[in-house]
Amino acid sequence: MTTEIAHAETEIDILLVEDNASDAELAVRELRRHKFANKIHVIGDGAEALDFIFCRGAYRSRSLFHPPKVILLDMKLPKVDGLQILKAIKGDAQTRAIPVVIMTSSSEQRDVIDSYQLGVNAFIQKPVDFDEFRRVIERVGMFWLAVNHPPPTDVFAPVAAELPGSTLAKHAGNAL
Amino acid sequence: MPQTYSRSHGLVPVESPVPDPMRLQQALARLTVLTQMKHDNGLTAAGGQVAQDIKELNEKLLSSNAQLAIVNADLEAFSYSVAHDLRSPIRQIAGFSKILLEEYGPQLPAEGRRYLDKVIQGAQQMGGLVDDLLHLARVGRQALSLQVTALDSIVAAALESLQPECTGRRIEWRIGALPSVACDRGLMKQLFVNLLSNALKYTRPRDPAVIEVAQMDHNGEQVIFVRDNGVGFDMQHASKLFGVFERLHSASEFEGTGIGLATVERIVRKHGGRIWAHAEPGRGATFFFTIPPGAH
Repeated sequence: MTTEIAHAETEIDILLVEDNASDAELAVRELRRHKFANKIHVIGDGAEALDFIFCRGAYRSRSLFHPPKVILLDMKLPKVDGLQILKAIKGDAQTRAIPVVIMTSSSEQRDVIDSYQLGVNAFIQKPVDFDEFRRVIERVGMFWLAVNHPPPTDVFAPVAAELPGSTLAKHAGNAL
Repeated sequence: MPQTYSRSHGLVPVESPVPDPMRLQQALARLTVLTQMKHDNGLTAAGGQVAQDIKELNEKLLSSNAQLAIVNADLEAFSYSVAHDLRSPIRQIAGFSKILLEEYGPQLPAEGRRYLDKVIQGAQQMGGLVDDLLHLARVGRQALSLQVTALDSIVAAALESLQPECTGRRIEWRIGALPSVACDRGLMKQLFVNLLSNALKYTRPRDPAVIEVAQMDHNGEQVIFVRDNGVGFDMQHASKLFGVFERLHSASEFEGTGIGLATVERIVRKHGGRIWAHAEPGRGATFFFTIPPGAH
């Protein structure tokens, strides 16, 4: 699913990993309404999200030097779930510094603990009420794109010894 | 062996945890015989049979309990995931209806806009219901994390989150000294939020509303209570008070889902306490509960 994609090779502001197309549309609409992000890329599948983040497969022409300013990550995703993606990102020196925000319907204590232990930068429960949902999205956009100081790009210099392919396979394969 | 059906669904037959009374009677009869025989210095055969019967009954009881626990856990997981999975579609119904109203409202006739408002209201009500159900299911699922906590601080936190419901009203709060108890903070806050938001709701026709939270001695036991001067209810219906989806007021009088007090009751019971209420129509209601002071 690709609602309103920025061109994959260029730098993007927000990577939204969300398998529910309508939820994604509501979030993208809200972010655009407040003009926090022009370049939002939406991916609805966990495996594809990993390809995007680690610049593999269909996304191999992307550069690891230009990660999104923030990744908004749903937990329930097809193929590879949100916690596995989080684990892969935070377990790899090349991607560890990318801010990751879990945005989920769940507020299970277990999920919150697991996310923080894996190094998530924020955990947000999507409110069921639409007006509250709007406010939350607005604040998330405001904080990560306007208030927060993102990591400088040299943080993302590839580490020679740690090739994305090998470490990734290991992380993604580990069940939590 | 008689079969009972789980009350909420009627889908899953479970063996009754209560052993067949006939078999119990037979075992007791043998026990009596055994006592007499022991008296007469002749034993063994009957004694062995009794021991065997008791052993079998115990095994049955244990396996029925295990079965019940599994069915119960399944039902809780089921209601949790249903409620959970409804959240997104409900948000989408309200969300897209609102967007439609905002962006195309001027092109719609007044009647069309009114229908959309109804859709949004319905979705909002459903959202509240689903969130309440999730809270209720969570009480059942979550293990208690007990910490000795001053209830004053919990009440203060509950009051803070109820601020939006207080705006524009005259409310006289009478908050007495409350004890420290070993409790789950999250659940205890939920308990006070539910009781106090009920008090706020049912005192809406009062100016000022008077809401009291305090502790009292009741037959040597420390009892915490939440009292209001609201519309109250008829004690005749008190048995329905803590049942899920039970309501003593119509939705047009006072909105609600009938889950709040059921959740409160579960939280109290999970802490090893008891809850009851006293009320009179037109003269307010008081909810009393106990929480054992030590770790439960």
